[in-house]
Amino acid sequence: MSESKNLLPLFLTVAARVDKRSFDDVTRESVITDLGIDSLSMMQIVGEMETELKIQIPDEDLVEIITVGDLCSKVEHRLV
Amino acid sequence: MATPTTRLEERVYRIYMEFFEKAERERRWSVFDDIPWDKVNRDAPEDLALCAETFASVEMYLPDYVAAGINIVRPWFGRSWWQANWGYEESKHSLALGEYLVRSGKRTQDQMFALHETLFAKKWEAPFDTARQMTLYGVVQEQATFVIYCKHREFARRAGDECLHAIYDYIARDEIAHTRFYQAVTEALLEEDRPGTLADLALVFANFKMPGVDLVPDYDERILKMREEGGVDRDLFIRKVYLPVLKFLNIGRHEMLAAQRVALEARQRRDAMGA
Repeated sequence: MSESKNLLPLFLTVAARVDKRSFDDVTRESVITDLGIDSLSMMQIVGEMETELKIQIPDEDLVEIITVGDLCSKVEHRLV
Repeated sequence: MATPTTRLEERVYRIYMEFFEKAERERRWSVFDDIPWDKVNRDAPEDLALCAETFASVEMYLPDYVAAGINIVRPWFGRSWWQANWGYEESKHSLALGEYLVRSGKRTQDQMFALHETLFAKKWEAPFDTARQMTLYGVVQEQATFVIYCKHREFARRAGDECLHAIYDYIARDEIAHTRFYQAVTEALLEEDRPGTLADLALVFANFKMPGVDLVPDYDERILKMREEGGVDRDLFIRKVYLPVLKFLNIGRHEMLAAQRVALEARQRRDAMGA
């Protein structure tokens, strides 16, 4: 799906802004904690993506996010 | 010079009296009379004892917790009395867990005294500077502790140790009551200064660590075992602490973003300087 391809760059941009570093070799299958992003930084990344896209992911959905793809899917679902 | 009793402190006193009345009427328990010591499972696995010993070790820093806490809130009646009562309730936790380890035959009394000596060789320092920050630390720490005791209560049940199950049950009840007290005080703090309180809450979340870190011997190995046996996964903090705390305090996730960014950037600068 086209939105899937577009959201990875946004994730990388926001993650770099929040964690003050660049991320290499990230795919939708990448586990977010394996990227060295802790749970609080992930909350910040999610929140900033929501703000940029003017969407809100329900709290109960947040606890299901493990990979970058999980996050992108949650966002895509709200953009539809 | 005397510190004036503000409206906030009057309110904290009333919150404390409500908490204390409920504790006295509904929540008191005795190490000697209420724990089913005859239901200790002496054949329970060593991992169960190791986890109980880790809890007991963290609880053993009570003198430091009380000293730091009571010195920060010394000028205020309600908060000082809260600290005294909190210390009493927490003292029973380490006593019950220590008794369990000895009565179960998993540790000798001499081993426990030796553990105390090792633990007391290090001192816990308060992680934050102000009464407000320490209150917010209390919200997060007590909620996290409650969640972990609940997880280990299930481990004790699975291991067939009704005694330890009961101990964890009593402790978890105390911890959630402590959480509710801190949350009630935090509601008052938010009403008094919402931006400042949110900034402090973000600071606490960004720098939070459990009190046993860097103090309890072999802490990392112990925590791995505690996570494994207690079913504590990596996202538990968000699921059972961060989100519930915000929800209870009626703070939206988006309301935290600005303060959280400042706190995370400060943490990154500090980490970079330390690296």
